[in-house]
Amino acid sequence: MSSTNFLHLPHQQLRRRKIFGGIKPAPHKAASLRSRIMPMPLPPQLILPINQYHGTNSSPLVKVGDAVLKYQALTEKLDHTGAALHAPTSGRITAICSAPIAGHPGNAALCIHLQCDGDDNSLELQPCLNHDQLTGFEVLRKIDAAGIVGMGGAGFPTAHKLRLAIEHGTELLIINAAECEPYISTDEALLRERAREVVIGAELLRTACHAPRCIIAIEEDKPAAIAALRSALAHSPIELMLLHSTYPTGGEKQIVQAVTGLEVPVGQYPLNLGILVHNAGTAYAVYQAVAEGKPSISRIITLTGRALQTPKNFEALIGTPAAFLLKLCGVQEQHHLTTVMGGSLMGLQLAHTEVPVTKTTNCLIAATVEDFPQPEPELACIRCGFCAEVCPARLLPQQLYSFARTHNHTQLQSYGLDDCIECGACAYVCPSNIPLVQYYVAAKQDLRTLSVAREQSEHWQTRFQFHQYRTKQEKDSARERRIPTALFPVELLPTDSSPITSVQFSRQLAQQEIADAVARANAKRISRLATDTQMPQHPAKDKE
Amino acid sequence: MITMLLIDNFFINILFAIAALIGIALSIRSSLAFWYSTSNQQKTLIDQINALLPQTQCGQCSFEGCLPYAGAIARGSAINQCPPGGEATIIRLAQLLNDYPKPLNPAHGRIEPIKIAFIREAECIGCTKCIQACPVDAIIGGAKLMHTVIASECTGCDLCVAPCPVDCIDMLALPAQNPWQWQLPTELQSTAAARR
Amino acid sequence: MAMRYLAGPQQHASIATNQIMLQVVYACAPGVAIATWYFGFGILLNILLASLFAVAFEALALHLRGLSPAPQLQDNSVLVTAVLFALTIPPGSPWWLVGSGIGFAVLIAKHAFGGLGQNPFNPAMCGYLVLLLAFPLDMTTWHVPNAQLLDGQSFTPFSWNGLRQSLLASFPFLIGSESTLAPYIDGLALATPLIEFKMAGTSAIFTALDTNAAVLGRAAGTGWELMNIGYLMGGLYLLYRRIISWHIPVSIIVTVSAISALLYAPHSFAIYGTPYLHLLGSATMLGAFFIATDPVSAATTTRGKLVYGLLIGCSIYSIRVWGSYLDSVAIAVLFGNFCAPLLDHLCRPRIYGHRKSRRLSAMQEQDR
Repeated sequence: MSSTNFLHLPHQQLRRRKIFGGIKPAPHKAASLRSRIMPMPLPPQLILPINQYHGTNSSPLVKVGDAVLKYQALTEKLDHTGAALHAPTSGRITAICSAPIAGHPGNAALCIHLQCDGDDNSLELQPCLNHDQLTGFEVLRKIDAAGIVGMGGAGFPTAHKLRLAIEHGTELLIINAAECEPYISTDEALLRERAREVVIGAELLRTACHAPRCIIAIEEDKPAAIAALRSALAHSPIELMLLHSTYPTGGEKQIVQAVTGLEVPVGQYPLNLGILVHNAGTAYAVYQAVAEGKPSISRIITLTGRALQTPKNFEALIGTPAAFLLKLCGVQEQHHLTTVMGGSLMGLQLAHTEVPVTKTTNCLIAATVEDFPQPEPELACIRCGFCAEVCPARLLPQQLYSFARTHNHTQLQSYGLDDCIECGACAYVCPSNIPLVQYYVAAKQDLRTLSVAREQSEHWQTRFQFHQYRTKQEKDSARERRIPTALFPVELLPTDSSPITSVQFSRQLAQQEIADAVARANAKRISRLATDTQMPQHPAKDKE
Repeated sequence: MITMLLIDNFFINILFAIAALIGIALSIRSSLAFWYSTSNQQKTLIDQINALLPQTQCGQCSFEGCLPYAGAIARGSAINQCPPGGEATIIRLAQLLNDYPKPLNPAHGRIEPIKIAFIREAECIGCTKCIQACPVDAIIGGAKLMHTVIASECTGCDLCVAPCPVDCIDMLALPAQNPWQWQLPTELQSTAAARR
Repeated sequence: MAMRYLAGPQQHASIATNQIMLQVVYACAPGVAIATWYFGFGILLNILLASLFAVAFEALALHLRGLSPAPQLQDNSVLVTAVLFALTIPPGSPWWLVGSGIGFAVLIAKHAFGGLGQNPFNPAMCGYLVLLLAFPLDMTTWHVPNAQLLDGQSFTPFSWNGLRQSLLASFPFLIGSESTLAPYIDGLALATPLIEFKMAGTSAIFTALDTNAAVLGRAAGTGWELMNIGYLMGGLYLLYRRIISWHIPVSIIVTVSAISALLYAPHSFAIYGTPYLHLLGSATMLGAFFIATDPVSAATTTRGKLVYGLLIGCSIYSIRVWGSYLDSVAIAVLFGNFCAPLLDHLCRPRIYGHRKSRRLSAMQEQDR
């Protein structure tokens, strides 16, 4: 299945390509890049969501009251979509309960609350000095044990992605360092200071997925990171590709296009093309997991925005509340307008800042009015087509907009709403200030709800038809059986046809039991009616 | 003047030519589309109506399930007899049948949030009556053995409640899911305006 | 103040719609200035009158539709309609002509279809076409003040006397009160060089244009080419500001030049006119850069825009050469508007990932 063309052509130059559309927003990265990546003091409490990414399946290994050590596993994954979670520091589990997490208002998830004891007592790590001699399988096992998930944003478990990549056969590994969204500077800071580690991580990933070729793709407007990478790559077979600095080049589908010129077919993944994409942050986490033996307990997060006195990049522990990090950077509450988790184009506003940092959080923006001015009023769409020019999926946002307004679901689908990656480029350039992405997420949800309802009703219909077929069959077979019923005692009838027609018990006894039960139920009902006036327990029955 | 235009106007001729070309192209396209649609599956009206009904098979419409009701609608029955479908279904039926939407006929029930059946298992005597009543075979259990409802298959039709001799079946509201819904800006604006 | 939405970019950077509209108006300035120099103040009076009427009608329409006029008037779209309309009707048109045309444009062609963004046809061109059908004579007569005074002296349009004459043309009821001006009102009535050319066959103007005898002279007729160059400059400014995309104007200009160059053969079929005459002798530049690019009624997909321009270019040429109407841009643009939704539907771009998948190795093999 895997083609090995690249082994024969190891040095065939791939040239960078343009993605469809795209915008060039002001980067706003200089502020947070002024200082080096800083370690973080221990917060008093950590909140660790058990499922770090939507759809994962993990279960806790600890109980409330347990004392845990740093690096100790807190959860185990139940299937391949899950990833293990480790204690970022030592302390005591105070609660395992639902707590608000980032996302839309009211979003909550099961979280482990860890009260830090401040001692930071850790389990002993087992560094691996000869990591360049490990086999792919060993690397994969270490990645799996470290609970690494994609650091770029989607948070797909890295080990599972690697396993899928091996199944599909990988020809090219792309390390995505094209951090195109404004304000976020984690990858740039990481590469500037720890390029060597990232390169080793990339080597390990390449070993794990057996890719003959690996390219680190970075945008050309990051000279310090590029210089560091160049020197780290001096004796490495890994190639470096400088991409045009266009938003959203860093999207998975877009970076595949920018590096290879191929498009990921609709409904498929880059894996189907023989391409595996991993984030630079993931490569660093892989280095830590394999070479240092450290599970994934921290990540680099950009804290920026004009409301902060000292914007910087932190190496933050997973589970740190956003508010704690903001305070460390000297947030000026009087100017603080809103907090955004993620970049300025795809980030979500936080309803409040007590939500924890997860393995996928890359940026926190404490914005002032200057950062994010109050939007202008929405005007009529003049169909100028600016949005269509910048759409990286080559959709027609102006048409989608009018279909979304009129709930025209057929047309929404035929104009490719499902292919929208919600990058926000269209809304960014809209001269009429139309919140296009809001229209699309609402319309997508509508479509999803409808299709779920349709599937369900189709399913019910099938079951109903089968029910009818079955009852008819039973009636027919009962008619055939009528003569033997008269001849033989009931108990001797064949009982294998179905549980409903099988009569395995004495009828009289059964009737007696039913009568008793009815009497019991009636008594209970009467007593319940009497108590219902004080304590209505069964609203459905109250109506009677 | 108009006759002159028609006779002696090259431009009009060009227009006609373009129109004719577009017309031919479109007719080829549509005939292809028609051929595809007929060759794949020709949906009857009853099927189309049935596809719009919620398929709870509850019989509140006074027919024995959704398909019979769809047939009745196709023969001219009222479209406002389906409480589980609610307003949305009535509107979609009206669109399909080129009819006016009517409010739900209260004789057939009220619009309520979807519930599912729940058997209080301690009280169940294993009479299998509910199993026979269930239109989608969502109740499992054997004679004289305790029954239970497969929650994911239950349509909330209510048909199992009446036959139960010991009244051990409750219709419970579905566990509250995250109520968050993305809304179109137009809807958000109108609610904001209403609040003001 | 507007709502801040949860989804979507918190940042926004684009030229605002009302600024786009203003830029279009500004971009008309070079053409208008040259036109004023050659044809007098009538064109400025047109713009002024049309703008006043348009704003009044817009406010009325918004009021009738139960909308608050203030925010909608601020989008300046009605100004663009007014200016484009004023540029297409003859200078020195009487006030009632301007008013009724722009009234139709704003009330019927724009607001009856749902206002800005909803109108399928270019409102200014609808207004123009209605006037052309209703008042054909008024709409093909250009009043250019260029009269001989009684004492034998003549005056240019761009002069005090010219202004007075233009005023009288726009407000005919003033004549009674100012009888002293009576001798001057017979402005030179003329049509576009192309129309002249069409009427007279190989006439003097054609010769003049062909030999470029008086490019910078002030004879009426050569003003046209400069005016068109003014509009071309304005259009290039819009392209530079990225307010319009190049597809529609380039497609129109290329189509018109190509057809006219193909069909023009000097001395044999001179009736077709040179490409030069077609591009600069009439309203082609105004149409290509300002009217056909009206985003609301034009095609919006890239390929759709090219086909749209092609259709308009073909129609411009055919109406001019073979048609009964004297000017063609308005009809051609409306014809394009008719086709735009279909073009947009047929010329949808291929969405990312919607094609046969190839593995990386397959591509590499192909490259080799």
